[in-house]
Amino acid sequence: MTPEEKYELFEKFCSNELSINEKARLNKLIEDDDVVRQELNVYKELYAHLDTNFNSKKEEEALKTNLKKIGDNYFAKMPKGKVIKEKIEKKIHKETTKKSKVIKLPAWSYAVAASVAIIFGVYFFSQSGPKYNDFASIPELSITERGDAKEIVKNAENAFNSKNYVVAEKYLSELISRDENNTEYQFYYGISLVEQDKYVEASQVFKSLQNGNSVYKHKAVWFEALNQLKQKKYDQCAELLKILPAEAEDYNQAQKLLKKIQ
Amino acid sequence: MGNNKPHPDQKYIEALLKNDTILLSEIYEKFAPKVVGYIKKNSGDDSRAQDIIQETLITIYKQAKEKELKLTCPFDAYFFLLCKRKWLNELKKSSQKEVTINEEVVSINDESVRFAEETEIFNAKHELFTEMFDQLGKACKELLKVTFTIKSMEEVAQKLGQSYAYVRKKKSLCIGQLTQLVQNAPKFNRLKNLL
Repeated sequence: MTPEEKYELFEKFCSNELSINEKARLNKLIEDDDVVRQELNVYKELYAHLDTNFNSKKEEEALKTNLKKIGDNYFAKMPKGKVIKEKIEKKIHKETTKKSKVIKLPAWSYAVAASVAIIFGVYFFSQSGPKYNDFASIPELSITERGDAKEIVKNAENAFNSKNYVVAEKYLSELISRDENNTEYQFYYGISLVEQDKYVEASQVFKSLQNGNSVYKHKAVWFEALNQLKQKKYDQCAELLKILPAEAEDYNQAQKLLKKIQ
Repeated sequence: MGNNKPHPDQKYIEALLKNDTILLSEIYEKFAPKVVGYIKKNSGDDSRAQDIIQETLITIYKQAKEKELKLTCPFDAYFFLLCKRKWLNELKKSSQKEVTINEEVVSINDESVRFAEETEIFNAKHELFTEMFDQLGKACKELLKVTFTIKSMEEVAQKLGQSYAYVRKKKSLCIGQLTQLVQNAPKFNRLKNLL
């Protein structure tokens, strides 16, 4: 048997496509030859590895983003003052030991240094990068064609306009399931997702709108850029801002944001 | 391990698979303090501890996603062991810093050790597979990506303008080549001995 034939049997085995004859052939092969058996085991593992790796990338990224956020929150709650003081003491210690002559600093200087550091910290923190909320102006949802789903439409509008995005998502997704090609529903559904930090799902919605030809085409690019901004993915955000054409409603805002992140 | 009932802490494994923010926050609240304490005692700081915790959780997620992971021991000891060993490895890599061995933080039984080891082997294999995949030629990499992301092989064949049988054959040869690369890697033999 050539290696080509062998691997084809392996492949059919992994994808459950073996005929009865082929199955018998493979079984015999494994029984007779331990090397082939071991090779099949590695092939199987690689098959499973590639399958999950390629198909759960997005999911893994979403998990990473979420864990980063949870971790940031968790560690931010720990007593910061102590950390800053430790850092300053370390720094002062380093600087003073670097010089040949050791200057002993009076105790109050630590307090001064610490307060200066805190003031700087607060200053830079509040200045650090543009934020999603500074740029996202959420349009009001007012669905024009009500069709036969009046109740759901009303509920969706109420929830969305009162910023209850969890509920809005539910009703909008119900509306989409009734009218798959309605870009208005899709666009507002996307916003409801971003507002809940469901970044990956939101991206999918905006990307499909971006590739379409509806009135929400440019809006979707703008909101996908804001979606990236919210995740602090400034490069991806900038790429999207750059493709927004001058006739887009949000062009000026986009240029403003672009300047800030570059 | 298979016959035992899963431990109630299996919920944390499920939380990783579902990206469940509430339970994931609980993992940090409940289990991070010990890890952070340990890392800080051993030449680390908060930010390194945050990285180690996140990397460990991602490793557990990957294992649960690719293989079945049914905990029959508490999450606490299993998680602490993994974080601890990951940190010791980092230390070993960066320098020969003095390491305080502090085993008393959680009660560690054989089962936790076994689970932690299994996860470590999984992780090492995962890294090896990724490394070897990078060594494949561009054509193979792309073909594998397409055939695994688009589930229907008919669709792939149509997209590539080839017959179904041809695409399957090519795919099998690429995975075959990858199998060879993995089996010939010295790291693989070391891992095999651990199984």
